[in-house]
Amino acid sequence: MSNVKSNKSSMNRRSALIGMGASAGAMAASGSFGFASAQSVAPIKIGFQKHATGIGAAYGRWYDTTSQAAVKRINDMGGINGRPVELVIEDDGTDPKRGAEVVEKFATQHNCDVAFGTLFSHVVFGSAPRAGELKMPYFVGSEGHHVASGKLNRYTLQPGITDVKSQVQSMAPFVGDTLGKKVTMIYPDFAFGHDHRDFFSEAIEAQGGEVVAKIAIPPTETTFTRYFPNIPRETEVIYHVMVGPAVLTFVKELGEFFGPSRPEIFGFIDSLEAVDINSSGLEFLEGTYFWEGNPRHAQADQTPYDKAFRAAVGVDDRGASLADSKDVSTYAHMFGCWETLNIIKAGMETADYQGPADRTRLIEAVEAMTDMPASDDHPQGPKRFNGKTHQTFGQQYISQVKDGKLVCVHTASIDDGLYEDEVDYTTQSF
Amino acid sequence: MKFISLYLFVPLLGLFYLLISTNPVHAHASEQGFVLLLPTGVYIAGGTIAVIASILLVSFLSKRVLTFLFKPIIVGQSWDLRWITNLSSLVSTIGVIALVGIGLFGPTDPQANLLPLFIWTVLWVGVFLVQGLLFDIWRWINPWVGLHRIVMGKAEPIYNLPADFKAWPAVFVFLAFQIFAIADIAPSDPRRLGNLLAAYWIFTFLGMVVFGRKAWLSQVECFSVLFDLIGRLRMLNCKVNLNIGAPGWNAIERMPLDFSRAIFCLVILGSGSFDGLHETFWWLAKIGINPLEFPGRSAVLWTSSIGILAASVALIGVFAFAVWIGVKLVAKSSNVTFIAAFTCFSIAILPIALGYHAAHFLVSFLVQIQYAGLALADPFQLGWNIFGLGQIQVTTGFLKAADSVKFIWLIQAGAVVLSHILSVLMAHHVAGTLAKKRKDIVLLQVGISALMIVYTIFGLWLLATARGM
Repeated sequence: MSNVKSNKSSMNRRSALIGMGASAGAMAASGSFGFASAQSVAPIKIGFQKHATGIGAAYGRWYDTTSQAAVKRINDMGGINGRPVELVIEDDGTDPKRGAEVVEKFATQHNCDVAFGTLFSHVVFGSAPRAGELKMPYFVGSEGHHVASGKLNRYTLQPGITDVKSQVQSMAPFVGDTLGKKVTMIYPDFAFGHDHRDFFSEAIEAQGGEVVAKIAIPPTETTFTRYFPNIPRETEVIYHVMVGPAVLTFVKELGEFFGPSRPEIFGFIDSLEAVDINSSGLEFLEGTYFWEGNPRHAQADQTPYDKAFRAAVGVDDRGASLADSKDVSTYAHMFGCWETLNIIKAGMETADYQGPADRTRLIEAVEAMTDMPASDDHPQGPKRFNGKTHQTFGQQYISQVKDGKLVCVHTASIDDGLYEDEVDYTTQSF
Repeated sequence: MKFISLYLFVPLLGLFYLLISTNPVHAHASEQGFVLLLPTGVYIAGGTIAVIASILLVSFLSKRVLTFLFKPIIVGQSWDLRWITNLSSLVSTIGVIALVGIGLFGPTDPQANLLPLFIWTVLWVGVFLVQGLLFDIWRWINPWVGLHRIVMGKAEPIYNLPADFKAWPAVFVFLAFQIFAIADIAPSDPRRLGNLLAAYWIFTFLGMVVFGRKAWLSQVECFSVLFDLIGRLRMLNCKVNLNIGAPGWNAIERMPLDFSRAIFCLVILGSGSFDGLHETFWWLAKIGINPLEFPGRSAVLWTSSIGILAASVALIGVFAFAVWIGVKLVAKSSNVTFIAAFTCFSIAILPIALGYHAAHFLVSFLVQIQYAGLALADPFQLGWNIFGLGQIQVTTGFLKAADSVKFIWLIQAGAVVLSHILSVLMAHHVAGTLAKKRKDIVLLQVGISALMIVYTIFGLWLLATARGM
């Protein structure tokens, strides 16, 4: 408790404490007393697009906490190239236009070295062109496939979290081999749901399975029972990716519809991110399966990296705040901030980054990265970065709800999520 | 008094029904997920029954009962505190300068910067409610009066603001403020807000210098007009002495409002209601936005701006129609003019506006006030820990537990229902002052009563329905 408290209160203090921490760390690391010149102690500024307001605010809060914890750790270890790191936070309002404005502020007002953000992919999509125009390296953690699809630019990279295409594809072997070959998909009827429909249909067919029904739910729907009779009797697995405020209603109505005899059910934890799985009313989820970007509940074979990560960001073994056990974090996704910041650090160190003139060298250094083993820098697991597509690949986790706990029953390998390159950004000029 | 007890008892039964007629709530989720699982249909029915019951009961009430209720009693002397409030106003001016400084030079994160947290949480929610419920806080924290008295003393204004302008300029300034709050792409951006606050402070101060303090504050400065109107609902208010009475007694004593202020009351509720409406799945579907991937404020800037104006105009129209029906129904036997009814009945809109304001902002207030505490502890991020507030650990856990979400929702619904019941009481008393015959008193408020019932359902629906932003 006291650790979190001190972390929280100190982590909010942007420049001064970060600077002091970094200086102390640097001195300890180098055995020296101070830095060579004033220029060298000027902080490296990382502009952080935060979803402080708008629909992403619940994520933004935890992404902020995670990012602050990552920067504190980096500074405690001596900063980057002997310089402290400063996180410059601006609210993107979870809005693409505002996102682009914020990137511009990072470049022109705050003199940031790089920009970093953000979860909601439409904000990334709106911001990336401006980052490209400003020649500002833009490290994103949105899971969107648009980075690897070639729609963005050389200045935009997604090295800390996998994309949806890879996630969905890597689920297919487990679903087909373990849960069943005949799948009914229930998804919201817009691009997000369509991506799941298309990526998964292709992947499950490659596994010898088939999608026996595709049930698209209008986005404005808040009650779902009338759609369930469309689920074919032959269905062995229901694959659902519902999102939005009516998710709990969906789960409850699905449970009431099937009663005790139901097919296997597989979903994405995005539906229930920051929701306590072990609460009354979610009993129906018992025995069902979820994709998790990072297992929310500490597993029996928990790595020391996961343990250290939880301690640093201030969450307990159930992924909830140490200060309030009801305050469940966005654990499946927020590791992306931590890992991205560590990759920025590694890239800057490789490129011997000194200032904005070295931005292209930084990008080239990150593009040259390949395998990153699981470590304190990469607590979610090993990664393999594809410099051509600017997209990282990593392990995916499938957890089953057992006695109100998300128990990891399968780890999809990096290879399960690989797909053909769709772009080679390295051929684009700076 | 027995009559009063009975009269109060039955609507409260409705409220009680609203509170207990629930099945155990299941599931854990974000606040909205839980709310959608609540039997809100039952609650809305309960709340509406409470309001209808209060309308029926009040119809049978003797005029004397309400006269008794709304007649204040003296509880103490009213002291001349002008020199103290001048001093506190000066302190408030310094506070504004500090806030502008923090906005322009402090943290860029709106959840770490005291300025947006103060404006949108402390002032717009906290001060609003204190002003309407507890005491005249605006008199103490108004940041213009103290300095103006020192600089200008009792100097005559350079120009006279035409009295015919009434408070119309304030109506339009308030609408502009609401458009900024509800539709602007980044109203919490500390730099943007800092510039705006500085500009508004200068605008107001210069306005007072040129046109005189009293005229400017009562005709143009929208917050002074707003807080004056909302403050009339307080139980505790000053006349010659300090008085206490049923909420709204002061508004009743000071009616009729001039027409501009009557419109101001409707604009407070109309724009506030739109603030709730524009977040709903229903509205987003109407404007062709997928509520599950809300594209951000920039995509709805114009629809929101126009919506605020349209909602205000629509409410004025509906209200005028409701008043007109009543006036027509009593035309043969009572001589009540439309304008008189409109400007008197408009005060009965104030409680609904206050109740909905409380309900609408309660959840965000509970979250943001924690950030405000943290920001106050160390406004310049220099490692301070003023009042030990730095120990606050922000949590939203209460929005992720079924019981607390249900409790919060019922508080919100209770605020909406109680405010409507108060409106019913005030409207009936107003009708009693406009018409003499018992039948006319009832007929005069037929339209208004229907509006109250529909607005109760609408207000509770706004709290219960799915939102996408």
